[in-house]
Amino acid sequence: MTDINNATREVFGNIAPWMRVVFFIMIAASIAVLVWQVAARVLLWRKGQQGGFERDWRVWSRRLVEYALAQKRVHKKSLGALLHMLLFSGFVVLTIGTTLLAIAYDGPYYFHHGWYYLIYELTMDVFGVAFITGCLLAMYRRAFQRKPSLGHNRSDWWLLWLLLSLGVTGFAVEALRMYYTQVQPDVAHWSIVGWLIDVTLLRGIDVGRAQTMHLAAWWVHAILVAAFFATIPVNRFLHVITGPLNIAGRPERPMGALVPLKMEEVEQTGRTGVHELSDFNRQQLLSLDSCMECGRCEDACPATATGKPLSPKAVVIDLRNLMSLGGEDVHRTIHDETLWACTMCQACVQECPVLIGHVDLISDMRRDLIGEGKLSGPPARALQQIGSQSNPYGRSNSERLAWAEGLQVPTAESNPSFEYLLWVGCAASFDPRAQKVARATAQLLKEAGVNFVVLGKEETCTGDPARRIGDEFLFQQRARTNVETLTRRKVKKIVTPCPHCYNTLKNEYPQFGGQYEVQHHSTLLAELVGAGRLSNSSSNGEPITLHDPCYLARVNGEVDATRAVIGAANDAQYREMPRCGKKTFCCGAGGGRMWFEEAPSQRVSHLRSQEALATGARTVATACPFCLNMMTDGMAGTTLPSCYSTARGELVDRRP
Amino acid sequence: MAESLILIEHDRQQVKRPSLHAITLAQQLGGEYALLVLGHGMDGIAASLVSYGASAVVVADDPALAEPLADRYATVIAEAARKRGTKTILGTSSTFSKDVLPRAAALLDAPMITDVVAIEETDGSISYRRPINAGSMFAMVKVEGDRRVLTVRATAFEPPAANAAPCPISHFDFDAASLPNGMQFISREERKSDRPDLTEARVVVSGGRPLKDKETFERLVGGLADALGGAIGATRAAVDAGMAPNDYQIGQTGKIVAPELYIALGISGAIQHLAGIKDSRIIVAINKDPDAPIFQMATYALVGDLYQIVPQLIESIRRA
Amino acid sequence: MKILVSFKSVPDPNDVAVAGGAVSTPKSVINSFDEIAIEEALRIRERGEATEIVGATIGAPAVDEQIRAALAMGVDRAVRIDDSRALDPYAVSRILGAMVKKEAPHVVIMGKQAVDDDSNQVGQMLAGLLGWPQATFVSKIEFLDNKTRARCTRETDAGLEVVEVNLPAIITTDLRLNEPRYVSLPGLIKARRKPIEVLTCDQLGVTVRPLTTVLSIARPPKRAAGTRVESVEELITKLKQEAKVL
Repeated sequence: MTDINNATREVFGNIAPWMRVVFFIMIAASIAVLVWQVAARVLLWRKGQQGGFERDWRVWSRRLVEYALAQKRVHKKSLGALLHMLLFSGFVVLTIGTTLLAIAYDGPYYFHHGWYYLIYELTMDVFGVAFITGCLLAMYRRAFQRKPSLGHNRSDWWLLWLLLSLGVTGFAVEALRMYYTQVQPDVAHWSIVGWLIDVTLLRGIDVGRAQTMHLAAWWVHAILVAAFFATIPVNRFLHVITGPLNIAGRPERPMGALVPLKMEEVEQTGRTGVHELSDFNRQQLLSLDSCMECGRCEDACPATATGKPLSPKAVVIDLRNLMSLGGEDVHRTIHDETLWACTMCQACVQECPVLIGHVDLISDMRRDLIGEGKLSGPPARALQQIGSQSNPYGRSNSERLAWAEGLQVPTAESNPSFEYLLWVGCAASFDPRAQKVARATAQLLKEAGVNFVVLGKEETCTGDPARRIGDEFLFQQRARTNVETLTRRKVKKIVTPCPHCYNTLKNEYPQFGGQYEVQHHSTLLAELVGAGRLSNSSSNGEPITLHDPCYLARVNGEVDATRAVIGAANDAQYREMPRCGKKTFCCGAGGGRMWFEEAPSQRVSHLRSQEALATGARTVATACPFCLNMMTDGMAGTTLPSCYSTARGELVDRRP
Repeated sequence: MAESLILIEHDRQQVKRPSLHAITLAQQLGGEYALLVLGHGMDGIAASLVSYGASAVVVADDPALAEPLADRYATVIAEAARKRGTKTILGTSSTFSKDVLPRAAALLDAPMITDVVAIEETDGSISYRRPINAGSMFAMVKVEGDRRVLTVRATAFEPPAANAAPCPISHFDFDAASLPNGMQFISREERKSDRPDLTEARVVVSGGRPLKDKETFERLVGGLADALGGAIGATRAAVDAGMAPNDYQIGQTGKIVAPELYIALGISGAIQHLAGIKDSRIIVAINKDPDAPIFQMATYALVGDLYQIVPQLIESIRRA
Repeated sequence: MKILVSFKSVPDPNDVAVAGGAVSTPKSVINSFDEIAIEEALRIRERGEATEIVGATIGAPAVDEQIRAALAMGVDRAVRIDDSRALDPYAVSRILGAMVKKEAPHVVIMGKQAVDDDSNQVGQMLAGLLGWPQATFVSKIEFLDNKTRARCTRETDAGLEVVEVNLPAIITTDLRLNEPRYVSLPGLIKARRKPIEVLTCDQLGVTVRPLTTVLSIARPPKRAAGTRVESVEELITKLKQEAKVL
């Protein structure tokens, strides 16, 4: 029996010293080519504005572990996720293994023997199989599951064949080495694949011949390795380098907060937002190169799903191509309609495994469109009205309390020692459908004995539509005015029925000195129900489903309170839509699109309504006045007139 | 008091009846008035105007006036006014009179008041009531100077009686060769319809955006209009969406109507639209949204799905 | 080609109120039809058919805000004729006539009517005073023959009409000509660098006196409240028996 401690293998056994030199030179050259190409990309990124990177090492190291190592965003029930795990784990282990071998070979202490060696061999073989399986699955998927969002570049097949060949030649080299060095079975078993090849394919071959074959296979493998290194930057594999860079570099910010502009910058450059590629910051340009074109963002995008000229993947790829060509003017590549089509639902941002911020790219380009006067029609009117009437509906701001007629809702002026401020929002103040939400909420809060007030005429638009559409300074005007009012009224706690107001007050007003404890009304209502101060309605026996608003569920992660309020847990008739919770699907009104005209065949609300109807539900509950509007309209086109949307407040209000 | 001159509009075949309503204002102002028509081949039209109690029907008939080019028409109108010693020129508000009369007023150094709906006399001076701000307000104005031009809103005045003894037809001579030549008529796209004219009809049925498309609009709005023998109107949203041509548009920037019965289908009631219908005697609104602003102006409000209601309505009317 | 666009500062139609027999004006904006005129001039220039756009308005210094908005849209320079009297369309057209003589544009574009006064006279009167061709209520403009003529589609009661006018001419815009662009705060800031010239009627060599006076303004009486019907049958019954209109 072999002494286990001596179990090892010869490194470079069959390779003459001069060949080793050639090998090292070849590998060094290919790595140099790789580095040179990557450096060229880095120079392109450096054309962008300075900064934009995450500085806190604790943040980016945590992110690297979560997203790069643990592949948090990749996990999904799909063939793509499975094959990527196989490829990723295989490649990582094989790379670590090769590195360890190199260290053992070149280093002071030779540790590549004994139990370590045996387990090493087994591990490498298992992960080698995983790697090859991953390649084969990828090839199958690319050839037969022709998903459009995957993208088909010529380099894709080159890469897959290259990776497969690396795997296969790797095993060939191992098997041939084991054969011609006549490794003892009890050691050979540990290199299980090699051993299997030995006893099946190589049985009976002359040892000397095997040695020659080994040399040939070894050189093929070595050349493939060099080719692999050299071509990383021109195929999808580049994401292995740029992906982690972006994962680490992306600045930490709440999902729903856009970056403010400074007036001084605008006065200097005369520009708002991004007009030329170099107006993006360096982190953004880097992010363009980190895209591996997986297409998950495109799959999740409501604009793409309704045939609009927007695909978040295409935006990234088109900008990247522009960068490669040394181009500057983004608007010649990205058309206006593409930018206007975005609902800023952040589904793309949420899906992206390498943390690209598509919405920020689009928002930056929208800001430039506004600056260039490229907006007209109903959304322009909405902005004008926010500027002159302090609300996008163009109604007189003195009508802010029209919804409260007969309710005797206290104002901040009449009751200065309030606990909560109920921030109604423009939709619930002026839109007749949403006014019911305001009424119901106010009534419920009164019933529960909550000490709340409203601002009445002093409430003005948070500016969210302005910021999303791209007029950053109109937004800042609104924000500063509102922060002043809130400060003057000594507001600490805010509750609001509108997820957009909620998001802006909570995540964006701190940019202007406004720090408040903000709750969406579903959270407060759930608390009150939980504390027994409000009683939950029992089901009316009809099937019911819930449409999660993007800015509540996805952007701010709140999915439980809404379900608690409608008593979903106790309702046998409650069903979830396929895309629910944080993975909800947009109603179509976000990103300021509430005010854009949409062709009837491209209505996002119709698509989402069909999804809701498919659950068999007769009631669709939702928690956002925009969603309420869109889903009601979406249902209007269906043959089930008894489906209707209702707001959280109404539902709790409907007692048996 | 000097004789007034009233510009009568026609469509080359016959008189446009709303333009006769200016005669009513002339009668209220008192004194004599002459009717003026311009065009080519005006004999039939002139003959149809002799019983409105005018002192004369003045006809400017020449090939140069075959099409209503404002520069030529205004020149002739101004000349006629000068030769006849006219102090007040009247007309009924329409795109024709709005195109031509202000230019004529300028040629006569005269101020002009558009869309008169009523007059008031205090201490011997006349003030005119006219709508401003999309009809959300009314202004009383007075005018001074030697001459003035007035247009009336047809729906604010009754049509004049046509029972006077016939008056003479006089041909106005002018030098056609010296008329301005800077404008050229190219083409016209007019809708010929069996339905009554929107501004003259007793019943108007109007549709808004919920009517989806041209075919549905014609089927439901047209269907109901035909059942009632009325005209079709549309909101700006419906016109912009291609459901109806622009000359069906009712509202601040479209036509002002005041029929006996106005039926609004799927119209929410934006203030610009309401400005065009508020003088209708009876307004019926059918809309799915119980909070639609139009219900604040409607005499009868029916909340419901127009796709179910309108066919029922058409059926019931046909049966009755 | 030089375009002169004239525009009027009007009370914001969304916010107008009547107080004490007169209109109270908390906020002013550029008349919406004139905005369409400015937008059209900008598009003509973007097509390469115009080289200079001059804006003109009449009013007190307060209307400078609207002038800045016009400059922010893209007008090259603007003139304010300083006159805070309540003028009438004829007086306005005489003042504009003097402006036209001074600036000698190839075409004058303005809105067909002001949404506060709704008179729809100034463009036509101006054309008459100058003896220029006019194209009113235009929904499409094309320049022909090396910009010596303009082919315009007009919106009339009966439908659409196409006319051709020799330049120089007066064009008044209708609603469907275009949708004006939105101007944001940075645009307004950039516009601060553009010049606003202030002239008086005397400097223009014109003396006007409005011949029309507004005596009072009032809201119309409210319509009587209506009734809700619940069915087609009820509606028809009421229309027949109560309203006597069927």
